[in-house]
Amino acid sequence: MRGQKIKLADSTQSLQLRAGIGAQSAALSFDISCFGVDASGQLSDDRYFVFYNQRTSPEGALRMVGSQSGDAETFEIDLSKLPATIQKLVFALTVDGAGEMKSLQSGYFRLEADGQEIARFPFAGSDFGAEKAVIVAEIYKKDVWRLSAVGQGFAGGLSALLKNFGGEELEAKQPESVPISPVVAPPIPIPIAATPTQPKVNLGKVTLDKKGEKTAISLIKGGGVQPFRVNLNWEAPAKKGFLASLTGSAPDLDLGCMFRLKNGRGGVIQPLGNYFGSQSSEPFIYLDKDDRSGAAQDGENLTIFRPDEIDLVMIFALIYEGAADFTSVNGRVTLKDQNGNEILIRLGAPERGLGFCAVATIRNVGGHIEITKEEQYFKGHMEADQRFGFGFNWKAGSK
Amino acid sequence: MAISLNKGGNLSLTKSDPGLKKISVGLGWDVRQTEGADFDLDASCFLTGETGKVRSDADFIFYNQLQTPDGTVQHTGDNLTGEGEGDDESIIVDLANISADIFKLAFTVTIHDAQARSQNFGQVAEAFIRVVNVDTNNEIVRYDLSEDASTETAMIFGEVYRNAGEWKFRAVGQGFAGGLGPLAQNFGVHI
Repeated sequence: MRGQKIKLADSTQSLQLRAGIGAQSAALSFDISCFGVDASGQLSDDRYFVFYNQRTSPEGALRMVGSQSGDAETFEIDLSKLPATIQKLVFALTVDGAGEMKSLQSGYFRLEADGQEIARFPFAGSDFGAEKAVIVAEIYKKDVWRLSAVGQGFAGGLSALLKNFGGEELEAKQPESVPISPVVAPPIPIPIAATPTQPKVNLGKVTLDKKGEKTAISLIKGGGVQPFRVNLNWEAPAKKGFLASLTGSAPDLDLGCMFRLKNGRGGVIQPLGNYFGSQSSEPFIYLDKDDRSGAAQDGENLTIFRPDEIDLVMIFALIYEGAADFTSVNGRVTLKDQNGNEILIRLGAPERGLGFCAVATIRNVGGHIEITKEEQYFKGHMEADQRFGFGFNWKAGSK
Repeated sequence: MAISLNKGGNLSLTKSDPGLKKISVGLGWDVRQTEGADFDLDASCFLTGETGKVRSDADFIFYNQLQTPDGTVQHTGDNLTGEGEGDDESIIVDLANISADIFKLAFTVTIHDAQARSQNFGQVAEAFIRVVNVDTNNEIVRYDLSEDASTETAMIFGEVYRNAGEWKFRAVGQGFAGGLGPLAQNFGVHI
């Protein structure tokens, strides 16, 4: 129950733990993070703020491994590897976007050691009010490692939570190294076709850092419809050891999209099956080349010439060969218009063993093109299609 | 240097601090940073005779009765939030002049309205209680409530008692079901 404290040594001798957080709510979407703080409760080293954009601490003692065993998020913790300056791990659940914790149906924190659950702390929306951020539990060292069921929160959300850990000061000092975007940014209209006499509004680079984050490009225009270009780039990892020559062709990634036009026509554009689309006729989406190694400077490019014709486009990247998944390829997708506005989507949270990534969706919403970062990983086309509901027929192919 | 006793341990105050005449029993905790009702911890003291019960209701020192008629035990006042550094509440005891038929002073900490606010000691940050020599400001013993109490809402922290001409202190560290009311009844106060 709330306020309860235990010594870990009473339940396990192991310092290798798995912590799982669950949260059920029809109305809310959540972010889960962990703050590794010092003896005075301050986040003195921002590398120990483990969250969706920074999934592991430098030495790997604290790793966010995604949704496992029914948890919304699972952490792998090795207390023996944590530096002595980190005295407390604070696990937090925050509401992403609108809503308050009282709409939470149920949630829990649980701790496992050697495959056995040693502690479980259930909580519910009735424990809370207008909080948008809740400290669920803390694993902390006071002579010995202990666990405390906290279940207390902040109405001010993740930013109030950060302030509590001295994170505000840190944000000001090092804005580059902590890309905290706790609130989904409202759609930023990027005028796609500014007339030459008007100063251009150039937002430069917009980075969609987290899943579900959106930005928008306005189709309101002075002249014709402006195309925009989608680029996929990646890196061939440095080869190591003598086996590299036996095992290693460089990873070959493919860029493609599933589309549905406003007239209802749908299809897939990708190197596989050599369907590159067309610039001058439907679907007005064209893939320029198939870079087989990541060596080409500009990667692979897909141009959407008539964004006004589309209903939904799902941009995907897939690994054709040379890598098992996206963990080693540092994939980046950028979307650019002709005014130099650029939206960057990093494939920063790959899942092991899954070689297909739904990167982003592009929707035509009443004269605006809305771009949403998806970054969802699947086994293949078919599973992704099931998620996004294009309803294609799938058969195996090669190129 | 303060001694930290384990639960059940005892210490001779007279021997630890030979010039000791007056003690201050201080209670401190941190202001709540999170959302919700403030944490309001109350320090109280029960003066008991040989039977372990109060002689009368005048021997129950708490936020509504800040001192004994003879002034040998004084509560310095109620703090509702824990704001400020150091002790947030303290009770000063004039050991040298306290009535001879008082054998024991039990110091307790309770959370005000704990049930209604669904609070317990485990939620309160940096809660401690300590015994200080008022004349020298020397801290004799300290007890960390946040580690040794978790889901309790009332606790007998420790007791100062006479033993063979000395004053001794015992770390009781015993949780007590219910709040200040039942605790007071336990010591024979008429509530």
